[in-house]
Amino acid sequence: MCALAVVLVDKLQVHLDGDFLHISAPHLNFLNGKTLERLKDGVSVAFIGQLSISSAPNAVVGDASSLARFALSYDIWEERFSVSRFGDRPGQHRSISHLSAQAAETWCLDNLMLDRALVPAERPFYVHLDLRADDPRDQLGVVGDTGINITRLIEIFSRPVKGNQQRWLLHAGPFKLSDLRKASHG
Amino acid sequence: MATALAIPTPSAFADQAFLRAAADSNVNQRYIVESVSVGGVQVESAKLPSTLRKHLTALVGARCDMAAIEDLAAEMRKELHLRVVSQRLAKGSLPDRIRVNFDVVKRDLAFDISVPKFLYHSKQGFSGEVDASTRTGPNTFTLAGISNGDDLTERFTGVAAHYRNSRVLTDKVHFGIGFEDFREQWTDTTRTAAENSNGFDLYRGRRNIAPELTFAPAKSVTVSAGVSLEQMQMENPLLGVRSANAVTADVHFGRKLEGDSIQQAIDAKYSLRAGTRGLGSDYSYSRHLVSLRYEIKSGRQIASDEFVGGAIAGDAPSFERFVLGSSSTLRGWDRYAINPLGGNRAVHNTITYGYQFGDRTAEVFYDMGSLWNTGRTAPVQSASGQNGGLRHSLGLGYRQGIFVLTMAFPVVEGRITPVFMAGMNY
Repeated sequence: MCALAVVLVDKLQVHLDGDFLHISAPHLNFLNGKTLERLKDGVSVAFIGQLSISSAPNAVVGDASSLARFALSYDIWEERFSVSRFGDRPGQHRSISHLSAQAAETWCLDNLMLDRALVPAERPFYVHLDLRADDPRDQLGVVGDTGINITRLIEIFSRPVKGNQQRWLLHAGPFKLSDLRKASHG
Repeated sequence: MATALAIPTPSAFADQAFLRAAADSNVNQRYIVESVSVGGVQVESAKLPSTLRKHLTALVGARCDMAAIEDLAAEMRKELHLRVVSQRLAKGSLPDRIRVNFDVVKRDLAFDISVPKFLYHSKQGFSGEVDASTRTGPNTFTLAGISNGDDLTERFTGVAAHYRNSRVLTDKVHFGIGFEDFREQWTDTTRTAAENSNGFDLYRGRRNIAPELTFAPAKSVTVSAGVSLEQMQMENPLLGVRSANAVTADVHFGRKLEGDSIQQAIDAKYSLRAGTRGLGSDYSYSRHLVSLRYEIKSGRQIASDEFVGGAIAGDAPSFERFVLGSSSTLRGWDRYAINPLGGNRAVHNTITYGYQFGDRTAEVFYDMGSLWNTGRTAPVQSASGQNGGLRHSLGLGYRQGIFVLTMAFPVVEGRITPVFMAGMNY
């Protein structure tokens, strides 16, 4: 499925915290538009985020990566956000509630981290964030118990690309692990 | 630097499992549903099928189960033939109460085109079906194009039209009538066997009209009764057109037992087709088919056993005869090596064990079955000279949603040739 991608270069900040490489993106505001509307309708919205590093700025496949899935919902009465993180393994599930939109965005990025052992110690590297919002309405109904619905496929591909899936791509670098170490110690 | 790194995008099925988990984690689940409306109209006043209305009404007074609400949105879209159904929550009249509204958008096209079945078999080729259907109220009209080389000894290709009324006075009674027009393709093996048999006549085409009434006396039981008026254009011009008019009856029982850690499903079916001269049939026969399936699931492990047994008494046309060596029976076997004309007795059992990884299942299976002929209509023996005899096959499968990949190995002496199958809803 096609996606409308918002590409932001050098808007990604990288730091070390314990055994993990963390990111922050103060200019990234992904709870907006239709996604925010759906949340305020009480519907859960799913995001898939991938943090990866590569030795080249335009690498198609990263040298190392970490994938996390987030489910956000909006409390109709308290008007605050709740976030759950689903990792690759069952023990990685974490949740938090009573957040503002900005705090929810920050929590998602804080919980998308990469093991420090995967970061090259000697050579420079680039950091990439790929964040996608899933629209369940586009995925349901094409394949079901009754087979493949061609009409539904036609409808999906007849719709404009815009609005099918929101996507944000953030890139930054090059970084050196030694520089990040100094910054974290400083 | 606008190049996107390759993200391992999860499949639609994995996404559905995740979306289900996302719905289950919705913070609004702690609130009580105060009211439900569809397109802004309260469910009590909305013009809806009674079953759907019952399901929607059941939400009122219960905790706001977002997964159940999403399931109902999907059910509504399917039942009412809508393009989009999206749910919206709003504050209720009290602080812990919420209102649920389903927004609906009608379809751009008035009919559905779908592929309900598809199969590729490395020895039998392709089988499949394409349907075009439209619906108005409880009435569904379907036109289908079919080519099937899997179910019978012959490949049949043609069109089928079906009308179904899912509410005859009450939701518990359904009426359907089907029309089929097929051309037949026989293999040389079957032709040779038919020539050497006594009174086994091949046909080049057949047409069928089959009205049927279905009654659901209980949630887990359905009973059907009807007639099948089938005419065959025989290959032998001296025989012309022959009729195989039969009374049909089916009883189906299906039940799921949901425990805390173990889920079980039981499925049983009995089918009868009785060709009678009273309906102007040239064939007088009765065909009985029993199938029993038991499935047990615990955590990621799933096991099932399915038994099928059938018997034909009298003189039945070829399309009624049993076949083993299909995509679901004695997988991997060449059906023409078992018996090129099929049999009038069959038993078959499949044991399957699967391990689930999300929505994906890796499975192993063991098929065993026997096909034989009794009575005066026993036309030929199998290529190996056997009439009956228990045969076995083993295999591996990979299942994702409705899609299945299978590699089957017939247990025979000498060289074993694996058979590959890829299919959907087979």
